[in-house]
Amino acid sequence: MNRRSFLSLLALATLCSRSSRSLAREGGVAARFGELPPAGRVSRVFAAGSPAAVLACVLAPGKLLGWPMRMDAAARALLPAPAADLPFLGRLSGRGSTVGTETLLSLRPDLVLDAGSVNPLHLSGAERVWQQTGLPYVLVDGRLEDHPAQLREVGRLIGAAGRGRELAGLAAHILDRVRAEASANRDEAPPRVYYARGRDGLETGLAGSINMEAIEFAGASNVAAEAGSGGLTQVSMEQILAWNPDVLLTQDAGFARRVRGDRLWRSVRAVRNGRIHVAPILPFGWLDGPPGVNRLVGLPWLLPRLYPHRYPGSDRGRLDRFTAETFERFYGKALPAALVAAAADGEAG
Amino acid sequence: MRPGPRRSLPWLAALAGLLTVLVIACCAGKFPLPPEQLLRALLARLGWADPVDATVDTVVWNIRLPRIAAGLAIGAVLGAAGAAYQNMFRNPLVSPDILGVSAGAGLGAAAAIFLALPLVAVQAMAFAGGLLAVVAVYLVARSVRRHDPVLVLVLAGVAVGTLLGAGISLLKILADPYTQLPSITFWLLGGLNAVTGGDLLAALPAMLLGLLPLALLRWRINLLSLGDEEAAALGVEVRRLRALLIAAATLGTAAAVSLAGIIGWVGLVVPHVARLVVGPEFSRLLPASLLTGAGFLVATDTLARTVAPMELPLGILTAIVGAPFFLVLLARGRGHR
Amino acid sequence: MSGEPLLRLLELEAGYAGHTVLHGIDLALSRGEVVCLLGPNGSGKTTLLRTLLGLLPPRAGRVELLGVAPARWSRAAFARHVGHVPQAHEVQFAFSAEDIVLMGRASRVGLFSTPSRHDRDMAMQCLATLGVAHLASRVYTTLSGGERQLVLIARALAQEPSILVMDEPTASLDFGNQLRVLEHVDRLRGLGLAVLMSTHQPEHALRVADRVLLLAQGRVLAEGPPEPTLTVANLAALYGVPEAVIGPVWAARPPST
Repeated sequence: MNRRSFLSLLALATLCSRSSRSLAREGGVAARFGELPPAGRVSRVFAAGSPAAVLACVLAPGKLLGWPMRMDAAARALLPAPAADLPFLGRLSGRGSTVGTETLLSLRPDLVLDAGSVNPLHLSGAERVWQQTGLPYVLVDGRLEDHPAQLREVGRLIGAAGRGRELAGLAAHILDRVRAEASANRDEAPPRVYYARGRDGLETGLAGSINMEAIEFAGASNVAAEAGSGGLTQVSMEQILAWNPDVLLTQDAGFARRVRGDRLWRSVRAVRNGRIHVAPILPFGWLDGPPGVNRLVGLPWLLPRLYPHRYPGSDRGRLDRFTAETFERFYGKALPAALVAAAADGEAG
Repeated sequence: MRPGPRRSLPWLAALAGLLTVLVIACCAGKFPLPPEQLLRALLARLGWADPVDATVDTVVWNIRLPRIAAGLAIGAVLGAAGAAYQNMFRNPLVSPDILGVSAGAGLGAAAAIFLALPLVAVQAMAFAGGLLAVVAVYLVARSVRRHDPVLVLVLAGVAVGTLLGAGISLLKILADPYTQLPSITFWLLGGLNAVTGGDLLAALPAMLLGLLPLALLRWRINLLSLGDEEAAALGVEVRRLRALLIAAATLGTAAAVSLAGIIGWVGLVVPHVARLVVGPEFSRLLPASLLTGAGFLVATDTLARTVAPMELPLGILTAIVGAPFFLVLLARGRGHR
Repeated sequence: MSGEPLLRLLELEAGYAGHTVLHGIDLALSRGEVVCLLGPNGSGKTTLLRTLLGLLPPRAGRVELLGVAPARWSRAAFARHVGHVPQAHEVQFAFSAEDIVLMGRASRVGLFSTPSRHDRDMAMQCLATLGVAHLASRVYTTLSGGERQLVLIARALAQEPSILVMDEPTASLDFGNQLRVLEHVDRLRGLGLAVLMSTHQPEHALRVADRVLLLAQGRVLAEGPPEPTLTVANLAALYGVPEAVIGPVWAARPPST
């Protein structure tokens, strides 16, 4: 069977296709349709999907019109005040849209903000929305490395230039720091990581999948890269035992709890050695889900977990404090100690 | 039919084929395991060889064998249920999905994933969804009179199945595209990669309970393929018999689907293949469908876990492997249906 | 001939919801008796047969098998008394003729059992009775219409019934097969069976029947022994054809046995 066609089918089915790189990218904005209003006059932003919503929320929570995804109370409690109470509106995603064109118009947005994969299908969908509604549409490429430019550019476009510059600087700092860490000490083999998704942990991202971006950026070697590149895939327990990863990462605390008592999973080196780490998912996933600027908080969290020997004692504490600081600067709320602790609940063997 | 060398030949061939498939399935896998180590791991647990490395033991006894066992059980159940449904509905195009069991199970599982319920609830809701869908179809069909009851059942199944399918689509569009949607999609594509020995043991009673009436009524089912009135005139309590068979086939299928997700095509093709070899008489067709279904699913699943670097969804592979195989058989078949 | 009739219809009205097809039918069928049911298309012959087989509940009046209504018999017990020969038909699956005849044993095989050696011998014997033992292992769907009809009669005999209900057993058969079937009916009477058969051919009734029942528009037009009942006048009234047309044809009929 033709693997590529199969993969693209899967990618389509899961709406998780990664961005096509054929498009030239300058700055953070990949495409825009229509005349944008002057930045000072933008006060109502419609986020087409969750990555865009996170972006708008951290830049100008007061301008976001609503959430394209369902937000539970726990997530809302950690958001800056104006964003915490916003209603669920639905997403704009071609045939998969859950918000109607008329609803969109009745919300009277000044612009539609979209972040994520920039491929011809997505581009033409954005253009179609603009043609139908006359609403200006801004599409930014949501790749991790573009986050600083993206924060700066979008901040400028929606009249939050100062906030954009501030967060862009922080983002650039985090990325530089992590990049340096990832490339340091080349003669040391990178940790081999399995990222367990899904309720049973048997779903993972192939090489280059957008779900693996943060983990791969941090210098970890994705064990599933052996199975190919593309989007998400299912794997078997036997496969995981054959890979025998050093580190197991997940965003599902329930799964991690189950794994600790599971005979099968305890045969995996990472679980045996207590190197299973649960990334928090509040207010948004720290590793992926959605693949947006929310991952910037996850990167400093990831470092001591991937490279524990480099962060003995106080160093680790310092990095964790930096993570908490980053969280606070992004969301304007203190990182509750319980959040990291609850996630760590599943960690120790 | 009297047993004779010509009659028993297909059975011996089928058993030999199944055995071959099982041996290959045991040897194949992502975890590198040379045959002699595999053999030692097998013998060690039986006390006939020295203990092997714990991981090897786990791979063989806790992963590979349960998965193969699940493939055997699920394939057998789907094959048998398909054969029963085809005879019962007098239609070789019918599959166990016809009364909405797969759609119901799919909706149950999708709802559980959507509501972020634990894994065990996904299975339980899939099982319950499958059963409820068929109960609904049966009750709707029973309330309609003055029509051919078989036709009404099939039409009610199509309608309810479509309704449930719409429910699945709705959940897919409401689900979070980054976390829930992939899980729902993978579940609907089916697969044995997540099945554990415990899951299998939990589903096994329902599967066996579903197969039991099929086995006990293996001769009487034939009469339903004559038509309701003719069967009644020959002394069959048609409605009761059909209700019992639907309940049994549904129970088994729902258990199989809750374990492995939606695996299409097996229940449709396997009875055909079996019928080509042993004919339509159900006391022969049932064991033939059990054997063929078990062998086919284990073989397909072995391909699913070995043919590509990644795990291929079983539901896709059963169609890719099954359809051409079926067409070839169909083209070669002579007179027999 | 024992006095008590096996099957009796009393003041029977039959049909479907909101549509009564048969009115005031009386009939008694006794051991060793062949009754032919004659009537044009739509006269209610099939409705009558379905009602007395218990497949259709009567709208009024009574059907009695050995004095008890079909609905109060279990299907199996009823089938041990009443054998049914449907019109030769299509079967979806490629059963062998022996498989088909064996199904006649359903009422005598336990619910969870399969046919015993005795049942198989019985089936073969029934095929042999009708002179088609050679068809046993042939696939039913590949048989000719006549062969199928004989196999279906064999199946009804495998029920070991005391009454045989036959729905147009000679329809769609060639001349030779028609005669063969009639001969068998004659022989079955000799074995003590009661036979009720519907037919479109009055000369067949003349040949085998002890009595005929003429059914027109759901009512009994005439009943009695064939010779005096099957008059030109009755046939003309039954089929709605002028006597002048029917007279010459009926007069030229082959001599009855």
